[in-house]
Amino acid sequence: MEAAESPPSSQKLAPHPLVLMRFRPAWAYIDGIREFGRFFCQTTFGTRELADRACVVLQETLENAVKYSSSSPDSELELSIESDGSNIEFSVSSLPDASHLDQLRAEMNGLKTLDPEQAYLAAFIRASNEPESSARLGLARIRYEGGVELSMQEESGGRIRITATGKL
Amino acid sequence: MSQFTDVQVPRAETVSIVLTAPNQVKLSGTLTQKDPAQDLAGFFKALHNAALADKLSEVRADVSGLTFVNSSAIRLFVDWATWVKNERGERYTLRFVTSRNVTWQKTSFMALMSLAKEVLAVEHVT
Repeated sequence: MEAAESPPSSQKLAPHPLVLMRFRPAWAYIDGIREFGRFFCQTTFGTRELADRACVVLQETLENAVKYSSSSPDSELELSIESDGSNIEFSVSSLPDASHLDQLRAEMNGLKTLDPEQAYLAAFIRASNEPESSARLGLARIRYEGGVELSMQEESGGRIRITATGKL
Repeated sequence: MSQFTDVQVPRAETVSIVLTAPNQVKLSGTLTQKDPAQDLAGFFKALHNAALADKLSEVRADVSGLTFVNSSAIRLFVDWATWVKNERGERYTLRFVTSRNVTWQKTSFMALMSLAKEVLAVEHVT
């Protein structure tokens, strides 16, 4: 059987998500949601490998969303997990602080120029060369260790949606 | 007298840290706090400086029981490897003991090896 092509990031995999959560952007929730994601993927799809990939995607996307969320009352996060039977999609919507948006755009564009392994190695080299800067390993790690492609959509009201799509 | 084993072990909520003479540190648990450097950066730096003072030829960092970490924690291992790599005098081999069954260890230590293979070794258990 031929593997299905990954759908474009803007294409929804299914009419209804398998998981949909909304919550305040608080660090204290991340461990619990990551472990729920591990349990959900292991239980639904039956593979530990996918459960491990889900953990990386959820940990790093939620950390970024929480770290850079605006302090506005509208800054709740939305997480969805969808699948069409061949692919899985994790999507996190957030309202980032405007000062972070340019950096995120640049980071996402930079990632596209390298394959996932090269991008992860490049992120390690950057971290090593810039010991006083923040790690900035997370997005490259999601692609390489999570086995997904990343995209970013800018939505109305200043919200953004980071979507990670990969094969089951 | 060993400076390495005299290094003060920090208390961290989700990780257990054990120092064993003459040259081993073992970490078990998870590292997902917002800024793991607060607990661990100074500790790793103290181990590095003690290893140099003790003229150790190798430090064993056993992370095989560290089941999940965030990228800020991975950064701490990048920093440690970079300190050893940039050391001008006598330096030691930093040997990471890892588990084949833990996904983050397979990907991250492969990347770390490419960064500083002249001073790193990666050993797999299980």
